[in-house]
Amino acid sequence: MDSPPSLVCRELRLRGFRNYPELDVAFPPVGAAIIGPNGSGKTNLVEALYYLEIFRSFRGAADEQLCRFGDDVFHVRGRFEDPLSGRSLEVTAAYDKRRREKRVTVDGVVPDRLGGALGRVGMVVFSPSDVGLVSGSPSERRRFLDIVLSLNVPGYLAAVQRFRQTLKQRNALLREGAPAGVLEAWTIGLVEASAQIMAARARWVSDHAGLFAACYERVGHEAPARLEYRCSVPAAASPGTDVAEALTAELERVAQREREQGITLRGPHRDDLGLAREGPDGWLDLRDFGSGGQQRTAAVALRLVEAATVREARSTSPMILLDDIFAELDPGRSERLLELIEETPGQVILTAPKPSDLEVRRGALTRWRISSGKIVAAA
Amino acid sequence: MGVIDELTAEFARLPGVGRKTAARLTFFLLKRSPDEARRLARAIDAVADRVRHCSRCGNLTETDPCGLCEDPRRDRSVICVVEEAADVLAIERTGQYRGMYHVLAGRLSPLEGVGPEDLNIDSLLRRLVGSTGGKEVQELIIATNPSVEGEATALYLQKLVRPRGVRVTRLARGLPVGGDLEYADGVTIAEALSGRREL
Repeated sequence: MDSPPSLVCRELRLRGFRNYPELDVAFPPVGAAIIGPNGSGKTNLVEALYYLEIFRSFRGAADEQLCRFGDDVFHVRGRFEDPLSGRSLEVTAAYDKRRREKRVTVDGVVPDRLGGALGRVGMVVFSPSDVGLVSGSPSERRRFLDIVLSLNVPGYLAAVQRFRQTLKQRNALLREGAPAGVLEAWTIGLVEASAQIMAARARWVSDHAGLFAACYERVGHEAPARLEYRCSVPAAASPGTDVAEALTAELERVAQREREQGITLRGPHRDDLGLAREGPDGWLDLRDFGSGGQQRTAAVALRLVEAATVREARSTSPMILLDDIFAELDPGRSERLLELIEETPGQVILTAPKPSDLEVRRGALTRWRISSGKIVAAA
Repeated sequence: MGVIDELTAEFARLPGVGRKTAARLTFFLLKRSPDEARRLARAIDAVADRVRHCSRCGNLTETDPCGLCEDPRRDRSVICVVEEAADVLAIERTGQYRGMYHVLAGRLSPLEGVGPEDLNIDSLLRRLVGSTGGKEVQELIIATNPSVEGEATALYLQKLVRPRGVRVTRLARGLPVGGDLEYADGVTIAEALSGRREL
């Protein structure tokens, strides 16, 4: 297997994080399988690792909730290493809930902006809660898009931040019924940021729809599925259109309704990802017409596409964090997902409630047992 | 409330000063000689008494119109529009600008209830129409901050002013002088790239 340079986690140190008062782990480069009962802290460990990638909980938990019960501060430190080149990286994150202050360092230096420190390692989490990407509301899919694109498309995060700020201001104007001249000044900024976001989303979907379909088919072994961009400005979704122009025209068209309702009706905040499977009479939305297994398969396919996006954008293989993922899939899907993961380079950190026959990295993962926040080598 | 508490409460209203710092400042003054405290009081008193907004440009001044507006050596054909009086000082420190100023006293921010009527925009438009002697205004340099709000304010002014036949320009954005490209953030580099110029 021709593996591109990639970082693997060698050491993880937690203080006051979730159920861990203190934890120091040294990971082998190939990875580890962490086995333990429910409630022993497996997902918390994955959450801590991924915190060093996006400085937020992948479960959407607030920073306060990550502090161990009775502690005011948590601290996470990871040491990462590229086994081929020997390049190393240290990322730390701490949060003080009394002062509501987050402190991040990369190789000992506090970055000018948090945005600049995002995605330094390269990681993808597969979790049972991913099914919400398919079965949940559009906002979950937008959050997925925003995280994937912020980490992998230069300028995307800044555009999202500008967009959100402008949207809030513009909505305030719409609520108070401001004159057109004042509104226009904000519309221009909104369109500029939106166009950048929508163009990046459209490009990402059109570049990865094929891969999504292929992953879905391989894991699911059934009728094909597809991924599409459901842009709130339909004209903007097709490549080659001037997104800014299309959005401006669309905003003009709905101007009257915007004033009546007091909110911005078109833009990235109204977009969605369409996930559909082929039915006997055409495409069926997986959100409404997907079985539990089909929805999970689509969610896994999205994560596999995310891993591919990291590889393309950063020329590194991301670490693969598998949080009790196989339990949710039937044996056939589990095995086929395993095959795909075996073809994907990168360190694997796997958690499971009990040992299974599925051997990731051909059984080379070190096995650990975890119980109430303590990790010991499995016998 | 005793006078000590009163002074502490006044300090605590200042930006960036919390309750603890306010108490520290109060006790610092009490430890020093009474003269020192009186000097501070006089300085505050004088500022409150004498400093006004210039009726022409909105800058802070002791004389009206302000020294900058009255300076005959300054170029009356250019007006640099800034958000706050402190921005005038920043530009003046460069020694590179010889035109006039106009202080908006804020920027558009609907969320904070700041609309065009709350900024010194009418007085700016009046300056563009009735140039009181000297040359007509030919250029407006909009030097609002490169924030979402500053940009919207700039766009609003541009829409308002351009039909009047005045040239409207915006301060360039880009790399800090003496900085290292390697350490500049991506957004700034992207801005600098799109705003690159011929050598």
